[in-house]
Amino acid sequence: MKISIILNKYKKFLIILFWVLIWEIFSLIINREIYLPSPISTFKALYKLLYIKETYITIIFSSYRTIVGFLLSCVVGIVLGYFCGISRSLYDLFYPLINIIRTVPVMSIIILALMWFKDSNVPIFVAFLMCFPIIWTNTVEGIRNTDVKLLQMCKIYNIKKIRVIKSIYFYSSLPYIKAGTISALGIGWKVTSAAEVLSLPKYSIGRFLYDSKVYLEIPDLFAWTIIIIALSFLFEKVLKLILN
Amino acid sequence: MIELINVSKKFNNLQILKNFNMTIDDKKITCLYGPSGIGKTTVANLVSNIISIDDGIIKGIENSMFSYVFQEPRLLEWYSVYDNIDFVLKDIYDSNTRQKKVNNYIDMVELRDYKSYKPKELSGGMAQRVSLARAFAYPSDILIMDEPFKGLDNKLKNEMISSFLKLWSEEKRTVLFITHDIDEAVLLSDTILILNNRPVEIVKKIEKNNYEIKDIKKMLINY
Repeated sequence: MKISIILNKYKKFLIILFWVLIWEIFSLIINREIYLPSPISTFKALYKLLYIKETYITIIFSSYRTIVGFLLSCVVGIVLGYFCGISRSLYDLFYPLINIIRTVPVMSIIILALMWFKDSNVPIFVAFLMCFPIIWTNTVEGIRNTDVKLLQMCKIYNIKKIRVIKSIYFYSSLPYIKAGTISALGIGWKVTSAAEVLSLPKYSIGRFLYDSKVYLEIPDLFAWTIIIIALSFLFEKVLKLILN
Repeated sequence: MIELINVSKKFNNLQILKNFNMTIDDKKITCLYGPSGIGKTTVANLVSNIISIDDGIIKGIENSMFSYVFQEPRLLEWYSVYDNIDFVLKDIYDSNTRQKKVNNYIDMVELRDYKSYKPKELSGGMAQRVSLARAFAYPSDILIMDEPFKGLDNKLKNEMISSFLKLWSEEKRTVLFITHDIDEAVLLSDTILILNNRPVEIVKKIEKNNYEIKDIKKMLINY
């Protein structure tokens, strides 16, 4: 009984420990740091990074790019999604465009964006373009799922259009939009880092990832990856807090 | 008085109404009685302009305001009881008047203690009473009730009927009441119109004052 309670309490921790152990075993078998660094050298690299001021500046700048790209995609996705949700012809007009954006490889967009923007804005643009279709789709879905019966009720009681948007469409689509923003934010982090690797803005996680490849500092690559995951987690938590 | 003159309505290939004529008296309760699916709701929706007529005229609804009690409460899940009623009054009254009105109608349907509850926390009967309070709080000329007691058990139904009668006697409006329940029809209406056939027609018009209750019941039971 007692043991099971303890096990339950530390369950998450034990699961993580288990996988780190597997990682350790593989790295011992392979025994080459540039193929798979051990957890210990990864955490050493991470520890070193935490004592450098530049790390934090980098985190701030990369976060800034992710957030701006994400927020832009929210604003445009929700507004456009709303109109496409209530108008079938607008939806038909935008659907092919958004479907293309969704299926075009990220790399093509990044390379094209490199031609258009200065280095620091490339990740923002790419994050925006990758997140936007998700939020658009969810918003459209949410608007379409609005209860027709409530809309009929509003018509009977002559409710002004702006109040129908505020009190009916907004609340009906909110759960869909929430879910959309959460998955968009996760993708935002991945895409921003990828775009940074190619555009190499001065302070960026992507530049560090790139450098680790150039200098074969694979533990650094792993350490930065852990930082990205942690940031992504943290941002998701904060977003969920804001949404609730 | 509301008059429907030679009104026609088709859904796809289904001719629901053809040259349909009907009158609804002011400040009286007119009941549309008849089997399900015959077109009672369609008639109500045409009167209230939710759907448009194909042909004919409806007189006496120019500039009229409508309120509606539907089969389901149709409340906003994310608003409280109070806010749900306030919602339909916002474009009409200033905030002081609204506050008085909303509170008054909540009291009338005996939901004072549930003012801040969300619809999901209410029973079906209570939610339907909110919908009734909303319909009366709204300054409508014509109130349409489309089987508002459907799905309620007897106790809740009686509570709601007494709420309705209380509200109505205080402030009489033209009511169009749809049902296929004999007791409801007999209890609430001034005039009962029996609808049947396709396209729908009024097969009988019963003025309640001219008959004994049990005779009316006998007439209704055949439809």
